[in-house]
Amino acid sequence: MSAVRGYALLLRWQLLRYRKQVVLFATIQVALGVGVIFGFSFLVPHVTPQVALYFATGAPTLTLILMGLTALPQDTAQARTSGRFDYIAALPVPRLAPMLADVTLWLLIQVPGTVLTLLIAWLRFGIALHIGVLVVPAVVLVATTSAAVGYAIAVALPPAATAQVASFVSIVLLLFSPINFPLERLPMWLQDIHRGLPVTYMADIMRGGLTGHYGVNAMLAFTIVVAWCAAGLAVSARAANRRG
Amino acid sequence: MAPANAATLAISNLTKSYGTVRANDGISLDVAAGEVFGLLGPNGAGKTTLVKQILGLLKPDTGTITIGGVDAVADPAAARLLCSYQPQASAPVDGVSAREAVEIVGAIRGGSRRAVRERAQVLLQSLDLSDIADRTIPMSGGMARLTGFCMAAVVPGRVVVLDEPTNDVDPLRRRALWQQIRRLADDGAAVLLVTHNVLEAERCVDRLAIVAGGAVLAAGPPGLLKAQLGAPLRLECTLDAEAVIPPLPSGVTQAARTGRRLLCSVQHSDVSKAVAWAQAAQANGMLTEFSLTAASLEDVYAKWVDSQPSAA
Repeated sequence: MSAVRGYALLLRWQLLRYRKQVVLFATIQVALGVGVIFGFSFLVPHVTPQVALYFATGAPTLTLILMGLTALPQDTAQARTSGRFDYIAALPVPRLAPMLADVTLWLLIQVPGTVLTLLIAWLRFGIALHIGVLVVPAVVLVATTSAAVGYAIAVALPPAATAQVASFVSIVLLLFSPINFPLERLPMWLQDIHRGLPVTYMADIMRGGLTGHYGVNAMLAFTIVVAWCAAGLAVSARAANRRG
Repeated sequence: MAPANAATLAISNLTKSYGTVRANDGISLDVAAGEVFGLLGPNGAGKTTLVKQILGLLKPDTGTITIGGVDAVADPAAARLLCSYQPQASAPVDGVSAREAVEIVGAIRGGSRRAVRERAQVLLQSLDLSDIADRTIPMSGGMARLTGFCMAAVVPGRVVVLDEPTNDVDPLRRRALWQQIRRLADDGAAVLLVTHNVLEAERCVDRLAIVAGGAVLAAGPPGLLKAQLGAPLRLECTLDAEAVIPPLPSGVTQAARTGRRLLCSVQHSDVSKAVAWAQAAQANGMLTEFSLTAASLEDVYAKWVDSQPSAA
């Protein structure tokens, strides 16, 4: 059994499992993106072109990160409770294949929502999007990094605690992370913290991929996100290989 | 007993602790190809901990596990390839049909598409699941468990671990399930069967181990273990709810009491005394019914497990 075949079969299994809910999930993704665009407009009465740009590009970034840090860990926690997690772990597949299959599933679920969110942002704010090829690795990196961290949380914590932690992380991301607004708006100490965290750079590579303009050096942003992704996968692999 | 060098699954002196609780305490056993080996024991005996170590999901504190000559402790990935598994909890069949679940696991376990499809059809048909095999509605507990068995058996490993395969299954399908379990062994697998269903397991297992308190208390073929009981017959009584058991006659010894059910061991020479005692107790309203039968594996189980201070 090749690693790729194991991953593909687990992905097929997940797609079959969720086939009846895919439309619902995709609708929620659309609603989330639309909510960010219109909801934040209430908070900020005078939407300048820069604010509009952040809202439009921040919405898909946020949904990708939330997918990894909330949906996936909650699904993993549920799998641990039901016994599904141990069952899959007892199958002859690479240790990270279940997580990567889950990431792919949630990415596929997000595609229509992301596209529609961008379309609505374009209609709402009239911003010019220049979608480049680098948006593909940006999406994959953001989703995988978030999922790796989320998976590690779900494996390390008791299942009942995972949902609480995931909710807390979501609120912190929503309110205190420079995804829908520039980093400079935050207090200096929080800016310093974010310079060491991947969220700012995730938002940058997504924004760059969608508009062609990077807030910081693209190479630097990609390098930092790749480093975080590798670290997250290493932690997840360690968690997946751990035997109590 | 199978010679050690013929064992497909060989476990030696296995210990595993959770904090101060020793879940497995020096367990040794072996299962040969073609053999159904029963693992009997009360809840909390350490059976599931043992199974998780075989599957590479837990690491033993000490001891060895070899599967087909491969060190399963050092190489858990090989263990997963060599073992197929039906969990105690229902297999994950939510959202998929029985056929889809069986065929996907068959493919994951390396079966060719055609072989998996044919084998899945045979298994589903033999367990009378054909009518529901393609439905994606939620399955009943029994259906999910039968599907879980098919998932373990579609491309069986050299070792097949079945954890409580008959729970929730109706009597007719249970009979078919026992036949399929036997067939797995006949086809060359080493089957490790974890069960509480002592009476039915007796008809299927070649050898068994009784586990309690994390240790193997007794092991061997059912006939040998029954012979070691020292009493070839058993008197089974259903007590009146309020009854105090009258003193047992000589040659009749209490083996176990669970609620209103009383099991006693009886020697051939003491049959008449045992029956007279039971008839008198029934006449006095202390027993509602009784039966005298040949000793079974359940008597062996009761003898060993009841001798444990911590047994339920």
